[in-house]
Amino acid sequence: MIAVFLQLVPSTGGWLLWKPNFLLLMVIAWILYIPNQYGIGFAALVGLFADALFRTPLGHYVLVFALCGAVAYLLSRWLTYFSMFHRAFLVFVLVILGELVGAALFSIWDIPKNLSHLHILGLTSAIAWVLVDRFVARIHLHHR
Amino acid sequence: MRKILIVGLLAFGLMTLDAYTTWLSPIHNVVDNLVRPFHWLSNIPSRVQEWGEINTEPRADIQKENARLTQESLIHRGQLQRMSELAAENLRLRQLLNATELLMDSVLVTEVIGVSPNPQSHTVTIDRGRDDGVYAGQPILDAEGLMGQIISVYDSHSVALLITDSSHALPVQVLRNGVRSIAEGTSDYNVMRLRFVSPTSDIREGDQLVSSGLGGRFPVGYPVGTVTSITQKPGKIFVDVEVDPSAELDRSRHLLLVFKVGGRDADGALR
Repeated sequence: MIAVFLQLVPSTGGWLLWKPNFLLLMVIAWILYIPNQYGIGFAALVGLFADALFRTPLGHYVLVFALCGAVAYLLSRWLTYFSMFHRAFLVFVLVILGELVGAALFSIWDIPKNLSHLHILGLTSAIAWVLVDRFVARIHLHHR
Repeated sequence: MRKILIVGLLAFGLMTLDAYTTWLSPIHNVVDNLVRPFHWLSNIPSRVQEWGEINTEPRADIQKENARLTQESLIHRGQLQRMSELAAENLRLRQLLNATELLMDSVLVTEVIGVSPNPQSHTVTIDRGRDDGVYAGQPILDAEGLMGQIISVYDSHSVALLITDSSHALPVQVLRNGVRSIAEGTSDYNVMRLRFVSPTSDIREGDQLVSSGLGGRFPVGYPVGTVTSITQKPGKIFVDVEVDPSAELDRSRHLLLVFKVGGRDADGALR
């Protein structure tokens, strides 16, 4: 809910291009912390919700989220033991991967996508990850 | 691996269905109605800020603002009188020329209640829908110029595509000399481009562009933007013309829905 709220809070002009995809960050966080409960199916479902939210063709974010979720799921066994910096770096890579896959899918429908802000988006997502990671870790600890 | 393959195939199937058929539009409608409360919730911070600005403003400032607005209103009313005289004269001249009469437009005030969170998709959600007489393809304006057009209509809200969306194009003309062109969105709120402009076209930096009304979608004469740069790259047949949109696309909260007199009209529309 918080991720959806943060995603929808209006931001203007150039800031919008830097805005992290909070839904993707939440998906990565849940998969990293509780991989036996949240996996690719969960990522695909959130992706479907993101499609509705972003008004993209249904299936677009399903694929993007499922791919990023799959990478996070495969690495989840090791990543919980890694430092915050390493996890933030993974998020940086995953966000860029997600954007590139998204751009490739858009190009199928002949919709041009501006990728010049990609590195900044990766960076802002990695910075936002620090907060998301701590938030999910706290909830996870509380529920255990 | 099998799971990701299945999800991938499903995703591609959904995308193809969504792009080439209208089978999934009922789902879109339902989901859009479900997502609406989230848009409303996410607008709370800006509403609180607006409320705070109004309620914490010192009385003296409000009085000063009020005096300024009264003066401005007087000036505008004066200008309006002059405009109505000019409009009457224009009508007489058009009748002399046997030209088609320009339609007067009626408008309905609406408020933005949601902005697309996807930076590549320039759409806004407004608080007027089918119940208010809104229809797909209807133009919307802000105080400065043309904003876009309605693409989806629901009972109590609608979604508008802005003129800067990369999938949007609108016919324009140069106010100075009437040269026609097509202005395309670039996914950047501050830049539009003119398509297929020949190097010999009489377009200059600083030229004001208005809607030409060709195609029948947008009414004639609404400000679209100002030409900011004209560049000719070696080996290219057409010049690159960049336009700064007149409307404050990423800032305006209150917009106007344009209804054509003689066409569909809304109950609360002002003329």
